[in-house]
Amino acid sequence: MFIINCPYCGEREQSEFKAGGEAHIIRPKQPTELSDDQWAEYLFMRKNIKGIQFERWVHTHGCRKWFNVVRDTSNDDIKAIYKMGEKPPII
Amino acid sequence: MLNYTNVITEEKSFSGLQMKEIRPVMKLIIRGKKREFLSAVGKSLNLLLPNEANTSSRSENLTAIWLSPDEWMIYSNVTIDSKNNDYETENLLNKSISKKNLGAVTDVTDQFVMINMKGDKIFDLFETGSPFNFNDFRNKKGSVTQTILAKIDVIIHNQNQNEVNLFVRRSFSQHLFSWMNDSASRL
Repeated sequence: MFIINCPYCGEREQSEFKAGGEAHIIRPKQPTELSDDQWAEYLFMRKNIKGIQFERWVHTHGCRKWFNVVRDTSNDDIKAIYKMGEKPPII
Repeated sequence: MLNYTNVITEEKSFSGLQMKEIRPVMKLIIRGKKREFLSAVGKSLNLLLPNEANTSSRSENLTAIWLSPDEWMIYSNVTIDSKNNDYETENLLNKSISKKNLGAVTDVTDQFVMINMKGDKIFDLFETGSPFNFNDFRNKKGSVTQTILAKIDVIIHNQNQNEVNLFVRRSFSQHLFSWMNDSASRL
């Protein structure tokens, strides 16, 4: 359990949020031209690293807004939080 | 008003805590982002929407509470006619917002149940079932939060010292009310 500082509501407990997986995955511009392997790569393959990971989170039981979180997956230490559409910080 | 069977029929009283449903109260959810939206609401209701997170504003007849950067709930301070589904406030907002494409107005009068709680044990009860930190909240009149209480989504509005209004979806209201009674009896 950890506390997440929602960029809209302030500090809230983790159980109010839902994780939305890895952030900054760009949808291919021409999906029809991709092979099945390339499409599967985009749809399913995630880095799932131990260490610093860029993720999307949503404040489901609060303001229902999406935002990005930079989290160390080994110890749940949150390095940065920034809104959707903002440039990811360099860490 | 829709013709529904009301689930919270009694008023409960414990030492330092009284709970009852207040009904019918008009409730509207309004959404919009534009600057013109904010000024149109302010002008037609004579009520400024709260800009700051987790706060509320109040006029003689209405209270507006902050839910999200582009979402607010407006509810009437007094009960309304139980046989009427036509609200002056909604019509006013429909004319000045929906018809001009500035935002959305949704009637949630029947969707949410408003439970009024009074007493000095309110926050002791909340602490038994909510992950939210009520320390600053309880001392700040007009503060608002959306959080979880006994795993149920609730909106809590700190109306006055030792008086809060709690909004819960109708289908969850009976369960939440019985949980609160159970929990309050053990405080």
